[in-house]
Amino acid sequence: MRDISDAADLMTTAREALLSELLPALPKDRRYVGLMIANVMAIAAREHRLGFDAAQSEAARLRNLLEEQHDSRTAAAGSVSPADLPALRAAARTAIRAGVFDSPPRAAALGAALLHTAADWVAISNPKALRGDPDAARR
Amino acid sequence: MQQTLRDTATETPAATAIARWLGEQMSASDVRVTRYERLPGGAIQDNFLLDVDIAKGPWRGSHGFVLRTDAPSNIAASLTRAQEFAVLNVAHAAGVATPKPLFLCRDRAVIGREFFVMERLPGIAPGHRLTREAELVPDPDALAHALGVNLARIHAIRPPVVALDELAPPAADPALAAIADYRAYLDRLDDAYPALEWGLRWCERHAPSASTITLIHRDYRTGNYLVEGGRLAGVLDWEFAGWGDPREDLGWFTARCWRFAAVDREAGGIASSDPFLAGYESIAGWRISRSELDYWQLMAHLRWAVIALQQAQRHLVGGERSLELALTGRIVHELEYEALQLTARSPA
Repeated sequence: MRDISDAADLMTTAREALLSELLPALPKDRRYVGLMIANVMAIAAREHRLGFDAAQSEAARLRNLLEEQHDSRTAAAGSVSPADLPALRAAARTAIRAGVFDSPPRAAALGAALLHTAADWVAISNPKALRGDPDAARR
Repeated sequence: MQQTLRDTATETPAATAIARWLGEQMSASDVRVTRYERLPGGAIQDNFLLDVDIAKGPWRGSHGFVLRTDAPSNIAASLTRAQEFAVLNVAHAAGVATPKPLFLCRDRAVIGREFFVMERLPGIAPGHRLTREAELVPDPDALAHALGVNLARIHAIRPPVVALDELAPPAADPALAAIADYRAYLDRLDDAYPALEWGLRWCERHAPSASTITLIHRDYRTGNYLVEGGRLAGVLDWEFAGWGDPREDLGWFTARCWRFAAVDREAGGIASSDPFLAGYESIAGWRISRSELDYWQLMAHLRWAVIALQQAQRHLVGGERSLELALTGRIVHELEYEALQLTARSPA
């Protein structure tokens, strides 16, 4: 418990005020904009809470996948951080296009890792679109 | 002196210029614009409701039209208004349910942009309503069947068609050409998208055998057709039409990302795919297989993801700051998630 509101709490509280106090007073043709603003505020609040972990997990998963590909450039020891994500995503793009993940076991490992990552980001952007356990959806 | 907003709208320079131009097209000396308002929606095209009264001549009476023109910026893949007008003419003549195109204006002096005027059809289009409000679609199977029939009528239009010679020639292999296009676009962005890359790689390795090339709509989906009294009134938004693989439209229509409030109803959130595909087969004479439909649904998610990224770029770097465009960019996560579900469904 924090002593004062953090960004996520401020955003959530502002959104509640928007929905309960402003939206009912808006003319009908402005309602859609009001709802979009509420949606954006919810996404921003969730990203504040979950975004760092999502980026961190994505970076770790990508590095593990790329390390398995006997590539010494990405096999550097140490922890990954969200700052490594652009380079890791670009390396994954190169490897995917080159067919590095085409074999069934590697395809399965990549597909599972990417699905976890996508689910993490969907949990921020639109959690209603999640279908429960991503592993269950694969079966 | 007080004027209502509506009166003002009919006396703008644009409305006056349109009235004069319409008079020339209709051989009518007195065209009075009684209503001229921008219609909501249309991130790519600008649509205006246009009501006119005509005192004399062959068009005597009151008419409800839609005027369609370019939004300030549009997506590179979309047609010019002249091309779209030509496609609408050909489709309407082929019996496709669609608004009847009436007049094309290529003279930018009239309102500053190319535009065309078409008849205004009655009905309701928003996907979130059609998939949620059961009273709007009392017989969902019949509507899905009609949508299948109508799509097959579009696909019965085959090249060459002289009136459509301004359309880009068909790609030798539409699936591989699309994959190359999407990759080329992704390469222009700062970040990489491994999930989309994986979907594209999968589609590349599982590319279908060639099909007949037909006219395809490329945005045939719930939200882009009007339903009036539970029945299909007409298909809208032809700006992406072109020559291609007809299976692309079938995948787009049935893709989960276009089912709105009813993701379990594969045919656009309206009904199961059976009546839709049966309606299609009744005209086309063939039915898409389950694996082909899966393939083109995956392609649909990848294409929509690329378009969503383009919309985000319009907001971030294109000088069109917009909440709606920014939110559209965030859809990419869901589309990646759905694309991965589809690649996981089939063996590598």
